[in-house]
Amino acid sequence: MMTPLRFEALYEDEWTELETCLDRLAGRRAHAMSGSHVSAARAAALYRRACEHLALARARSYPAYVVTRLERLTDEAHQRIYHHRELGFSRLRRVVTEEFPRTVRSHKWYVAVAAVLFLLPTITVGLLVYFQPEMILSVVSSDTAASFEQMYSPSAASIGRTRDASTDWMMFGFYIRNNIGVAFQCFAGGLFAGLGTVFFLAYNGAFSGALAGYLTERGLSHTFYSFVATHSAFELTAIVIAGTAGLRLGHALLAPGRLRRRVALVEASRDTVVLLYGVTAMLVLAAAVEAFWSSASWLNPIAKYSVAAVCWAAVLAYFVFQGRRAG
Amino acid sequence: MLELRPAGLAVRYYAFALDWVIRLSVIYGAAMVASVLGGIGMAFWIILIFALDWFYPVVFELSASGATPGKRVFGLRVVMDNGLPVTAAASMTRNLLRVADFLPLGYAAAIICLLLRADGKRLGDLAAGTLVVHQPRAESRAVLDDVPLVAPVRPLAPEDQAALIALAARASTLTSDRLDELAALAAPVSGDARRAGPEVTVRVLGVAQWVLGRR
Repeated sequence: MMTPLRFEALYEDEWTELETCLDRLAGRRAHAMSGSHVSAARAAALYRRACEHLALARARSYPAYVVTRLERLTDEAHQRIYHHRELGFSRLRRVVTEEFPRTVRSHKWYVAVAAVLFLLPTITVGLLVYFQPEMILSVVSSDTAASFEQMYSPSAASIGRTRDASTDWMMFGFYIRNNIGVAFQCFAGGLFAGLGTVFFLAYNGAFSGALAGYLTERGLSHTFYSFVATHSAFELTAIVIAGTAGLRLGHALLAPGRLRRRVALVEASRDTVVLLYGVTAMLVLAAAVEAFWSSASWLNPIAKYSVAAVCWAAVLAYFVFQGRRAG
Repeated sequence: MLELRPAGLAVRYYAFALDWVIRLSVIYGAAMVASVLGGIGMAFWIILIFALDWFYPVVFELSASGATPGKRVFGLRVVMDNGLPVTAAASMTRNLLRVADFLPLGYAAAIICLLLRADGKRLGDLAAGTLVVHQPRAESRAVLDDVPLVAPVRPLAPEDQAALIALAARASTLTSDRLDELAALAAPVSGDARRAGPEVTVRVLGVAQWVLGRR
């Protein structure tokens, strides 16, 4: 008659073999590494056997320690067998050359809405502040306004943000942390029926608009625009694309169509996560440009504007043309 | 076939707190090194904070263990809804959406969402299609060497056998009084119905050993 102890004794060898396989794969037990390498076919066969044994042990109400041991074993083997690395170099290349621009194009209406949500407040608030400079005080405090003015004054040694003890490198780190934080907020806000995304896009748009309007009115337009022109090619597009991803999430929640809301949300986030990869890369690039190029006050503004034009053209061309052909 | 046991708020909070302490100590450690290196050190320090904020969980979840160090200590792991290892896209999604889970403050959205759902998902888990599950724990063995074997007086259903063996497995963790009480409930198997006491307990445990297959 088959008893729990007999069952254990009968299959103990297979289980130990599978355990050893898993230990070797995980790099545990250094001494086991010296032996022959693990045969994938053998490990898979042992895994299937262990699944059978688990089913038997459960059906026959075998003791908990047998069932849980088999659960642990099959669970670990399952994780190990189905684990695969996806963030390799070839995948990275595919994201850059195909997936990112294609995903942006397949969401072109979301991009349009996100761009409007960002640009409309920028322009409106920009014009408001330009014609009524005191309006800046409803966006930022007077101290902040004064410090902005000082930052972009032509006499400052470097522009953008004052730099006494800090270096370009430090600003690079600061820009990355700050801008990627803003972009991720625009994305995550989508979970609140898209309202968070709308808010963060409009808020950041209004803020940039206020700053631009105020500094233009103060006659600092030359330093300001030559500063922002280049990196904004990457930064503003990245923020808009992050907003695109957020709007898609919000739309999936509000209008899931024939899917259940939760399933629609999972699908939307699966589709848009590649946008976040791209946004992160673009913002790192933007931060580098902002820290090392935009802030260099020794450069001729003409040079800055020409490079800015090239960058804007390159970014737009990338999204319009890259990855059109199947390849 | 695969059994997943979703983790609740408390254990996830402990895991989070531990991860937080780990991150904080790394940041403090790096700050000391950075302060020696000056400007460029500060730059790397800020980038390190940024990377830890956003990618610390992603990197660990995509490793073979599928868990951050904090989760591993508390026996938790992140898996897809169907029990498969978490994918890069899902891990990115669930961790970037921490921003939403944090709102309005102190992960309030995550806590409310987690408490309202039986499967313990926060908003990020909902969107990513992931679960945080307990890893199965090892149970103590039920084999007692110092108990004389007793054959059951009547045939036992599989569930009854399992209950007896489970009692034997817990015997060492119970006080002797409690063990006697529990064994008294099972006393009919050894023909000691309506009796209780240490000698009945020994006989019941003897039946458990017999059922296990020591004969």
